[in-house]
Amino acid sequence: MSRVLTIALNEGRALLRNRTAVISAALFLLLSLMAILNAWDQFRYAQGLRQTYQSEANQTFDAQPDRHPHRMVHYGHFVFRPLNPMAAFDPGVDAFTGQMLYLEGHRQNSANFSDTRQNTSLVRFGQLTPAFCLQVLAPLLLIFLGFGVIARERENGTLVLCLTQGVTGPQMFWGKALCLAVVAGLILLPALVSLGWLATQAMLGWGLTLAILTGYVLYLLIWTMGIVLVSRFARRGREALLGLIALWAFFCVFVPRIAPDLIAHARPLLTQMETDIRIHKELKAMGDSHNPDDPYFNAFRQKVLKSYGVSRVEDLPVNYKGLLALEGERMTSALFKAYADRNFGQQHAQTRLMDGVGLLAPVLAVQRVSMSGAGTDLSAYQAFLEQGEAYRFGLVQHLNQLQATALTYADDTNKARENRISHDHWTNYPDFVFRPPAMAERLERLSPALGVLALWCGVLLGLGQWSALRLERLMK
Amino acid sequence: MTMLRFEWLLLIRSRLTLAALIVLSVLSIFAVARGLHEVARQNAVIAHLETLQKNDMSDLAKAYGPEGDAGYAAYYSFHHTFDPPSRLAFAALGQRDVLPYNLRVRALGLQAQLYEGDIFNPELALPGRFDLSFVLVYLTPLFLVVLLHDLVSGEAESGRLSLLRAAPKAGIALWLRRAALRSALVFAAVAVPFVAGAVIAQAPVAGVMGGVALIALYVMFWTALCLLTAAFGFGSRINALVLLSQWVILVLVAPTLAHIAISRSVPVPQGVDIVLKHRQLVHGAWEVPKDLTMQRFFHSHPEWKATAPLGKTFEWKWYFAFHHVGDESVAADVATYRGRILQRQALAEGVGYLLPSVGVQAAMERLGDTDIRGYLSYQDQIKTFHTALRRFYYPYIFNKTPFPEPEYAKVPRFEPRSYGGGIGGFYLLTLAALSAGLGGGGVWLMRKRIV
Repeated sequence: MSRVLTIALNEGRALLRNRTAVISAALFLLLSLMAILNAWDQFRYAQGLRQTYQSEANQTFDAQPDRHPHRMVHYGHFVFRPLNPMAAFDPGVDAFTGQMLYLEGHRQNSANFSDTRQNTSLVRFGQLTPAFCLQVLAPLLLIFLGFGVIARERENGTLVLCLTQGVTGPQMFWGKALCLAVVAGLILLPALVSLGWLATQAMLGWGLTLAILTGYVLYLLIWTMGIVLVSRFARRGREALLGLIALWAFFCVFVPRIAPDLIAHARPLLTQMETDIRIHKELKAMGDSHNPDDPYFNAFRQKVLKSYGVSRVEDLPVNYKGLLALEGERMTSALFKAYADRNFGQQHAQTRLMDGVGLLAPVLAVQRVSMSGAGTDLSAYQAFLEQGEAYRFGLVQHLNQLQATALTYADDTNKARENRISHDHWTNYPDFVFRPPAMAERLERLSPALGVLALWCGVLLGLGQWSALRLERLMK
Repeated sequence: MTMLRFEWLLLIRSRLTLAALIVLSVLSIFAVARGLHEVARQNAVIAHLETLQKNDMSDLAKAYGPEGDAGYAAYYSFHHTFDPPSRLAFAALGQRDVLPYNLRVRALGLQAQLYEGDIFNPELALPGRFDLSFVLVYLTPLFLVVLLHDLVSGEAESGRLSLLRAAPKAGIALWLRRAALRSALVFAAVAVPFVAGAVIAQAPVAGVMGGVALIALYVMFWTALCLLTAAFGFGSRINALVLLSQWVILVLVAPTLAHIAISRSVPVPQGVDIVLKHRQLVHGAWEVPKDLTMQRFFHSHPEWKATAPLGKTFEWKWYFAFHHVGDESVAADVATYRGRILQRQALAEGVGYLLPSVGVQAAMERLGDTDIRGYLSYQDQIKTFHTALRRFYYPYIFNKTPFPEPEYAKVPRFEPRSYGGGIGGFYLLTLAALSAGLGGGGVWLMRKRIV
């Protein structure tokens, strides 16, 4: 054991003497620090903006004058997707998703004004965030620092020298691995501090913080082991470096790009326009409330009349137009929900395929752990869309209900009369509050990916021991 | 010539070199195939939606035609606008995966419709597309590093360098020849699939030449960097490390820093503001005296001033007037919003003069017309169409002309915009100058230090 430590310490000393290693590590730490500060600053700015917008939208909605309730249905409401402080650590899909949802009757709008729509293609080069530093840059730094740990000793002939001096293969191997693992730990440190701090800001809870932490520790351990292994099999330092860069480019640059392309192609989504057209068509097929002879709405009228025990809509104690609006909205919203569910289902099928590819590329697995843990993934966005839709439906039906009860049928059908009801009816309607997906749900989503990372780690550790035992053969 | 043949023989005997070139060719071919496929898919989506829209329109004509009210026709009928990919889009799919290329609009206020998006999976959009511009900007430099990092040092390490120096006619010609041959092959590995793809896509010749020039210059730039690095006379390992660090900075780190700098220095007024203001105006119109709205509308449309005054009941002409007045009232905000986005884009293109990675990516997207500029001109096309649509319906609505079923066939049809992309000659020149400068510096240093 002490020999393992000695070897690790020796390697560490060599690294400290290596000027390029020290400079690149310092640059990386500087970059991480910048990433954290910038991400936090951007977060505070964007969050402030959205909070202002939301409270303004709430105020203008509450301040609307006396109106016909159906005008309020068309006036609608705006809800803004609140940012989660964890987005400063890992913004996930944040830049690509709409931040504002316009809620109105009869229609389901898309969430609009994502960052990508008001930015240049620079955003596609990736964003400098702690997550980007850890997922993409940290492995690269580890490669630069560690490609030669064993290969260089072999190239210089010092490896055989050590082994003949009684150092065993495993001692050599694990000593080197230990040193690189400590370096990886140091690399992780600033990001971890920021993670801990943001997690308290976001009230993330121990479970998720620990899961994200474990994800990154495992991820960097995978790279550490991979680097030492490649270095152990390469005959020369340069071979190890080129081989590792090829591996890195394949796993961190190539696979994350090619996989979504193939998946999007294999599982195409329905376009917004086709969805709209289909919903409209299905709605028309169900019934047309404007058509006096429509079978569906005639049956509806008969049912209403029967339940109130009257024979004419004029005799109803409530406004029949309001009841029609309620029924119409119920029908459209059911269709919206069916299509949204179908669309979310398709997207989840795509995402599941992506997670499957994560088995082959640990970077995808760590992205899953990080995004889902932080609550900046597709599911968190869909939760916002779903809650927005639920709020829309509740609000519209509240207003339709008002039309049914606060206005009479005679007044409402009199075209010469301006019907308005008191604004008190909507001033006190509760505001929209977004509830992010629960911890249990997020843990459930990220745990398979955590398992994948653990599996990779286990396999590589086993492979390490196997190859370490065979290191002494190099003497022959 | 014979010397070049010997170089070729050396090259094809090196397994690493050959493997690198084959892998790069395969990646390029695959990227071009993916790009062509994606372009075909986008065209198919547009065609499919066009059919759906036609059927929807004829249903609408049947449903509202008998009533003959132009107000209903204008209110209920949506129109398909679309932005087909250009013939060069296959090489750089750009932002077309996150920016919509289909949008339905109707004659109501445009600003409430213009910012709707299409459905896409943001998790899949996150890493960016796999297209030829990606292979060129990200991967090609890595292959060049693999092929050129041991240009001189490889000979030094195998002990042949002193021998080569002692040979008659020694000089740096050997290194230049070797570098030229290898980078020419790298260029061919990317450019040949590009040209083949362009032929399949029937792309305009000028654009194809521009793309080829861009590929050549980017390969030259990285070759120049490799030469310069080799000239310092380090070992192969250090060369590889230095070159890879340059790659990391140019391709991974500097663009993200530039993005931060640009989005901080040019804050885009939130598009949200436009929509909020527009909605306030449009829905507030029910509270504003109707005549006031009409006066505002007549200000820009005096030709309808003489029509019958408004009665007490609801009238379509007032409805469409206040929708348009809403659009007019936010026109200044829209112009600022758009201007700022363009300013950001111009800055990003400016950064491209210093960072060829950013510059070449931007130039490829400009060539394919798939960047934010292309999207903004699609928006302009929508705006033009929307104006034509409004002006088509106005006579029916203001003169209360009946709008029976046959009239539906006369509704204006959307014409897609024409190709607005291209390549900046000035940018190509700057890139050439930059590469020449670096390469020249490398040659000068090599002469001084190695020979």
